[in-house]
Amino acid sequence: MIWLIERNTMKGPALIPSRAESFFNEIGDISYFALRFFREVFTRPFEFRELLRQCYNMGNRSLLLVGVTGFILGLVFTLQSRPTLMEFGAESWMPSMVSISIVREIGPVIIALICAGRIGSGIGAELGSMRVTEQIDAMEVSGTNPFKYLVVTRIVATTLMLPLLIVFGDTVALFGSALVENLKGEVSFTLYFNEVFDALKYSDIIPATIKSFFFGFAIGLVGCYKGYFCSKGTVGVGEASNAAVVYTSMLLFIIDFIAVFVTDIFFEVQ
Amino acid sequence: MTDAIDIKPILELRALIKSFGDNHVLKGFNLQLFEGENLVVMGKSGSGKSVMIKCLVGLMEADEGVIRIKGQDITILGQVELDILRTEIGFLFQGSALYDSMTVRENLEFPLRRHKTKLKITESNEELVLEALENVGLADAIDLMPAELSGGMKRRVALARALILKPAIILYDEPTTGLDPITSKEIINLMRTIQKKYKTSSLIITHDVDCARVIADRIILLVDGINYIEGTYQKLIQSEDPKVKAFFKT
Amino acid sequence: MQKTVTQKIRLGVFVILGTTLLVSALYFIGNRQNLFGSNIELHAEFTNVNGLQLGNNVRYSGINSGTVKGIEMIGPSRIMISMVIEEKIAKRINKNAVATIGSDGLVGSMLINILPQEGESRPIKSGDTIKSYTKIGANDILTTLSVTNENAAILTSDLLKITTKIIDGKGTIGMLINDTLMADNLKESVNQLKKASMGANNAINQLNTIISSVDFDKSAAGVLLTDSVSGIKVKSIIDDLDASTTNIKQVSENLDTYLNEIKESEGAFNQLIKDEKFAKNLDSTLLNIKEATFRLNENMEALKHNFLFRGYFRKQERLKTKATRDSIKNLENEN
Repeated sequence: MIWLIERNTMKGPALIPSRAESFFNEIGDISYFALRFFREVFTRPFEFRELLRQCYNMGNRSLLLVGVTGFILGLVFTLQSRPTLMEFGAESWMPSMVSISIVREIGPVIIALICAGRIGSGIGAELGSMRVTEQIDAMEVSGTNPFKYLVVTRIVATTLMLPLLIVFGDTVALFGSALVENLKGEVSFTLYFNEVFDALKYSDIIPATIKSFFFGFAIGLVGCYKGYFCSKGTVGVGEASNAAVVYTSMLLFIIDFIAVFVTDIFFEVQ
Repeated sequence: MTDAIDIKPILELRALIKSFGDNHVLKGFNLQLFEGENLVVMGKSGSGKSVMIKCLVGLMEADEGVIRIKGQDITILGQVELDILRTEIGFLFQGSALYDSMTVRENLEFPLRRHKTKLKITESNEELVLEALENVGLADAIDLMPAELSGGMKRRVALARALILKPAIILYDEPTTGLDPITSKEIINLMRTIQKKYKTSSLIITHDVDCARVIADRIILLVDGINYIEGTYQKLIQSEDPKVKAFFKT
Repeated sequence: MQKTVTQKIRLGVFVILGTTLLVSALYFIGNRQNLFGSNIELHAEFTNVNGLQLGNNVRYSGINSGTVKGIEMIGPSRIMISMVIEEKIAKRINKNAVATIGSDGLVGSMLINILPQEGESRPIKSGDTIKSYTKIGANDILTTLSVTNENAAILTSDLLKITTKIIDGKGTIGMLINDTLMADNLKESVNQLKKASMGANNAINQLNTIISSVDFDKSAAGVLLTDSVSGIKVKSIIDDLDASTTNIKQVSENLDTYLNEIKESEGAFNQLIKDEKFAKNLDSTLLNIKEATFRLNENMEALKHNFLFRGYFRKQERLKTKATRDSIKNLENEN
């Protein structure tokens, strides 16, 4: 009995290191995965048609979602901040404030999160089910490198499409904001966008765009990683798609955090 | 074993060892497949049949052992040579493994996209696809999506895909699982027809005794990670070994 | 096959549209910062730049015409500012123009105003350095004006008390004068009046200092005062202020005279005849004072309506309402 109790008490502390171990293991795995991506992305053969297909799937098919989200984002953001600015008698700052916050931060992060939900989980589920039904193995046997065909194309597609989606979403958001200003504050669209471009600087738009490439990469990478190494049958597919969204969202914020630091260093003068 | 010296095996496994952590799945498995032969490997679920067949085509790496296909050791081959060698092998996966996002036609064309130029096949994709589909009696289904097919049809399309490069060896991973007995019989018959038509050698992995009885020239029992016993169906059902009897009892 | 072709076209449209959006945004921003088109560089030296930043606007006669490209310390309290000016505006700027640092409203971002000057001078060339002027902040002026206004408010309420008493006919003028408390009140009022006029004077002096120190013609000085308030408006406010202070000064002098007169003739009976006339005079004097303070208030009101000062005045408003309420309460209590 004493031996049993000892064993049970041993279980508690032993759990923690094993958890930490699996955490680092996962980080290591995903790093290898990323490394393999960089090795394979530049070597022949290039799966160009599949890349276009994925770009279409991720880009064009997310347009409506991103558009609607962006529009509402701009609309709500403007409506919510109007009273505060009015208190200071500074409604005329609305365009510059809204544009800077949307272009620099809110637009990229919100749209990336939406895409993590749509694209990331989609990739996780698709690759996951391909893995458990041996479609990935079948590809390998058919002489096609599944990593190139499935993973590389998807990661490249998200990396290229996300900045475009974010630009699109930001634009729609600014139009939403301009609409509110136009109706409530009687600011013309011309004046609104004049003020927007007055307020925006390269140091707002360029880091945000660079950042969004990384967002896209993270969404593709985590989704593919989770799907590609999916196991445990259909349950695993659900887990993969869920984990893809959760990890991607977390990673997005970490990237954002790092991006703000880096931006701060390079654009310190501003 | 003396036979092996006279007729060179087209596929050979020697002392194959594979473990997952503490789980030793294969502990020195041996196998020889001769030209034109239907070899059935039987074993319980989880006995390592699928692992063995995946090691065979390089989907998994064996810990130790020699895998020789047409005289080439695949464990030392590079990716390019391995891909060329794989054109000689057709693989029918357990769950058919059709690509969900592609039509039947695209599924069948998939192996052609990389291998066609290497093999210097002159026929057009269309001809090859139609020929393969006719072989399995599903020429009408060419533009359907896999989701629109029944389980039996999927298995046939998968078989057509495995056949499209006219491989010398076809590996069947549980060809009858998940199918009703009648469809299973149809698939087995199809396998035999194709084997006759193209003179292929087949390695069939199954736990379906009926399947083994109909198709097997020779049966190997995979028990405890080794080739426990091998012989014809007749020989095995007469065996007094309790482990062998457990298989054929029902 | 057909499907993939349309997919490709749609993808192409999306990619081109997205890229165009991004590039045009970059272009518009660059355009605002005068990165494209021909520009000339202009310098000005300041002792204090009040938090001016790179990229802040440069205005010539109120038109956005360039941005700040460089801020460099070239010695103790010597800051060299480099500006990039659009060429089409730059050819209208003469070498004798003056640069000053201002702000886009009380809390707005800083900017540089370049003001044209009278007199002959050649147009600027790239690399020129023009004269500069560092001015007093708008805030200082406002504080002075506000103190003046408060003084005027106290004064009016005090004088109101006196007039009420006179009108109510509480005793004769003799009583009024014999009443030491009342006399003290009157004296106090006069003092307050003096203080008010001094305050107003100070404000005007400050404004005048600015005007004279730059040595501009009058309209230019007006423009200098605040960047966004139109020069003429401020100019007229100053004129009004000047007028009200003169009025207040006159009134206080009048009152002084009366007070002395009354003191000298203290107790004399024949003054009774004069009483009526005196009361009338006092009344009209008070009217004058009222008018003067009213004008002062009006001027403040005018400033208030300028949206940039709104925040500042809103606070003042609250304090004032409270003060008026208190003084009315006091008045009622005394009566």
